[in-house]
Amino acid sequence: MTLLYSSSQTMLLAREYAGQAIDPFEAPAAAYIHIPFCRRRCFYCDFPISVVGDRPPITDQKSGVGSQGEAVVRDRINGSNSGAIAHYVEVLCQEIGCTPSQGHELETIFLGGGTPSLLSVEQLEQILHTLDQRFGIGAEAEISMEIDPATFDLEQVRGYRLAGVNRVSLGVQAFQPELLAACGRSHTVEDIARAIELIHQAGFQNISLDLISGLPHQTLDHWQESLERAIALFPTHLSCYDLTIEAGTPFSRQYKPGVTPLPSDETAADMYRLAQKTLTAAGFDHYEISNYARPGYQCRHNRVYWENRPFYGFGMGATSYVRGDRFARPRKTREYYAWVEEMQAALDSGISPFTSPVTPSSHDLLLDRLMLGLRLAEGLSLFALSQTFGQETVERIWKRLQPYHQKGWVEVQGNPGAIAPDETIPPVPGRIKLTDPEGFLFSNVILSTLFEEFS
Amino acid sequence: MTDAPVSHIRNFSIIAHIDHGKSTLADRLLQATGTVDAREMKEQFLDNMELERERGITIKLQAARMNYTARDGQHYVLNLIDTPGHVDFSYEVSRSLAACEGALLVVDASQGVEAQTLANVYLALEHDLEIIPVLNKIDLPGAEPERVKQEIEDIIGLDCSGAIMASAKEGVGIDEILEAIVHLVPPPPDTVDQPLRALIFDSYYDPYRGVIVYFRVMDGRLKKGDRIRLMASSKEYEIDELGVLSPNQIQVGELHAGEVGYLAAAIKAVEDARVGDTITLAATPAKEPLPGYVEAKPMVFCGMFPTDADQFEDLREALEKLKLSDAALNYEPETSSAMGFGFRCGFLGLLHMEIVQERLEREYNLDLITTAPSVVYRVTTVKGEVLLIDNPSKLPDPQYREKIEEPYVQVDIFTPEEYVGTLMELSQSRRGVFKDMKYLTPGRTTLIYELPLAEVATDFFDQLKSRSRGYASMEYQLIGYRENPLVRLDILINGDPVDPLATIVHRDKAYGVGRALTEKLKELIPRHQFKIPIQAAIGSKIIASEHIPALRKDVLAKCYGGDISRKKKLLQKQAKGKKRMKAIGTVDVPQEAFMAVLKLEQ
Repeated sequence: MTLLYSSSQTMLLAREYAGQAIDPFEAPAAAYIHIPFCRRRCFYCDFPISVVGDRPPITDQKSGVGSQGEAVVRDRINGSNSGAIAHYVEVLCQEIGCTPSQGHELETIFLGGGTPSLLSVEQLEQILHTLDQRFGIGAEAEISMEIDPATFDLEQVRGYRLAGVNRVSLGVQAFQPELLAACGRSHTVEDIARAIELIHQAGFQNISLDLISGLPHQTLDHWQESLERAIALFPTHLSCYDLTIEAGTPFSRQYKPGVTPLPSDETAADMYRLAQKTLTAAGFDHYEISNYARPGYQCRHNRVYWENRPFYGFGMGATSYVRGDRFARPRKTREYYAWVEEMQAALDSGISPFTSPVTPSSHDLLLDRLMLGLRLAEGLSLFALSQTFGQETVERIWKRLQPYHQKGWVEVQGNPGAIAPDETIPPVPGRIKLTDPEGFLFSNVILSTLFEEFS
Repeated sequence: MTDAPVSHIRNFSIIAHIDHGKSTLADRLLQATGTVDAREMKEQFLDNMELERERGITIKLQAARMNYTARDGQHYVLNLIDTPGHVDFSYEVSRSLAACEGALLVVDASQGVEAQTLANVYLALEHDLEIIPVLNKIDLPGAEPERVKQEIEDIIGLDCSGAIMASAKEGVGIDEILEAIVHLVPPPPDTVDQPLRALIFDSYYDPYRGVIVYFRVMDGRLKKGDRIRLMASSKEYEIDELGVLSPNQIQVGELHAGEVGYLAAAIKAVEDARVGDTITLAATPAKEPLPGYVEAKPMVFCGMFPTDADQFEDLREALEKLKLSDAALNYEPETSSAMGFGFRCGFLGLLHMEIVQERLEREYNLDLITTAPSVVYRVTTVKGEVLLIDNPSKLPDPQYREKIEEPYVQVDIFTPEEYVGTLMELSQSRRGVFKDMKYLTPGRTTLIYELPLAEVATDFFDQLKSRSRGYASMEYQLIGYRENPLVRLDILINGDPVDPLATIVHRDKAYGVGRALTEKLKELIPRHQFKIPIQAAIGSKIIASEHIPALRKDVLAKCYGGDISRKKKLLQKQAKGKKRMKAIGTVDVPQEAFMAVLKLEQ
């Protein structure tokens, strides 16, 4: 079992306190793997996915494995579409194989989707093996995998754990059948309980649950019930997302934000406050705008994003941040395959398909740091910011934050009061952070003000 | 440059409605005479301002000198003087026509005569120009040259038996046009021996050489180094550079009567060398200036304020610079309690206003708030004083007013018959007084209305176009002031009156406008952390009321690796929106809100 705050995590925090710049050119120690397959598309989803359907297979290719309900579930999934998934895994591994290591072994791996639990154990092993070959996987690496209820059986989830996965994130979303149906989820409330049971049986201890607030027809009572039932399942981590109506989704055609049957903005904000109150009372730290964890169980991989550290990305639609370059892969299967092929062809003919390092402007780096860092409860170290971007920048930030500081949306921490901060003198050393929940709820107001200052 | 005897010079312009192919025809003439070869040919050579290209209209006119060997074997110099194509610039059109002896009347063979064309043809006839009708786009399947010829004869009374059939796009009829110019357009009178008089028909500001003046020599001659006097401004300058436009500037030593050219003489601002002014020699001045000089008078006014108060000085400098090249632009400082420091600017019309605003933002990188346009009201106070009010917020309170008069225009609307109903409805709804309706030709109608300028200066033209699917056109002229029961409609945001949103409206329309305006503002002003009431009031009486609910949350729920770039763009967009807002008290009001009164569904 590996997990908890790794020593490198602590080091990192210490380093930031010490004012050391985060270097976008350092070698990534994180990898995101996108598995784009889903049985169907949820009505709110705008991710790059490929729908494989949940029709029973015509021919049962794996009839030898098991014969009970679980096997049926798996066969239903793997049946007629296993060919497409297998091919994707081949190309994905080819992409990984093409990517030069920047010299650091992986400390975190995150398999997201889509529905990564549509992978067979063998396919997962193949991916992890390829990553290990290419970059090396650290002994204490956090390996997370998103899984969805009703897509796996015990043998499969145990296989995942044995292959190295040590953290699972279960897509629960809600505990009310009518809400699950209304957002097009392909599982039932009973499937959730069954999934948790299997995960526990398989020996997982680091379990995260995803919930969505602000769903159509959802009430505060529903939300309270979902939070309580989630807590009762003893997860180590919870992600609670306020529903975003994304352009191009069925939801965007059906609903208008803030208008019935969607909860009003006021109710949605109250749901956010309720989650904060309920989950912190239950012993979870609200460590990021939408994320809660028991002490020691923050998601190390996702923290890489919020600390604006580099990461590899593999698979259709995945983004990487390597050598200062944020690069998004093609979001369509065919285009992604063509892109990998092109890269392979270039490598075979001895041409490097990789662009030379990009130096993001210090302006872009600053905006990224602000936008990402202020999502975290611990906020940003002003000293670290002044080391990277200069004292004047910190003064400008502090000045623009004044109205929000007075409003109680921004607070200062860790400034022992050596210098009494005022409007012109930023509280250095010290950290600025958004308050929970009010500062978080209006974070875009605060961030757009800072963006305005630096644009 | 070939020297040209006066008898072999032909000066002409092209009169055409927008889209009837003027620019394309001009391009073809330049190509056919070898003035510009195909390689350097940018599409539509004469419209060289970026804005003009985008809008497909000519704002600033230009000229081109072409050498042409006619079928008679003689060498001719043809000067094409382009004219701007919009009602706002009719004075400039009249000056360029005054510089010519002839004009090509270009009419789209499928569309027929439009109001704008008609107005310019009348101007040309006033100047005794020889008019050569050209039916363009005859290659199009919808072309009806016979019908359109008949229409030109019926409406304008011009003999069309010799009309030239052309397709500028296909290069058809270009030679015939060139021959017609040579043989039909009279040569300029030979007045080379008289004292110099040259008519300025355009000028622009060049940061390195000062004002570049485009002129037609009417009498006499001028040389590089001559000391010249501008008769209206009585300023004197020495000519540093003299040349012709081909259409690029080519320097020459001397120009004489009949010729068209440009000069540079370290003139600091366009207003020192205004369109219509007469150039003469300081040593041997002409007795009389050329007739027809008028100082352009602004008709429409608006406030322009920088969104960022720090940009006030930049705005002043930008206006100063624009004024160097735009003599019709007027501005003076204005202070508003809501908006801070800015300028009250006067324009020839709405298009002129939009162009200036766009140039300030594009070329000078300013973020501006422009208030809705206003006309000049004439207010008689109880004491008998007469005040001219170009800013609604400056209207004296009712108890001090004896009467308010507003400017009226006569609008000639030219439309296919089937839109008469809807356009009459539009004119009536804008307080129009019906004067006349003429059936010019079967299917074509002219509607004549008298309308308050204030109603025309808003979205009348846009409405006219949309209600007639683009087929109707219009022309207007000022006919004087009339008294009306007008009131000032104030807008209160969060309880405070916002003076740049005040408008002067007819008493009978105040309720409707008040309701529509508060609803529109509710749409345009973003949510704040508090509830914002928006009210419309006449004096102390609230006549309409709305409110913007408070913002309850504004947060990005998810932000992982793949989301970062997109979410960052979202925040940048939000920040940009913020930058373009003006803080009125504690409420941030976006730029569009100040133009809301123009966007009401009436």
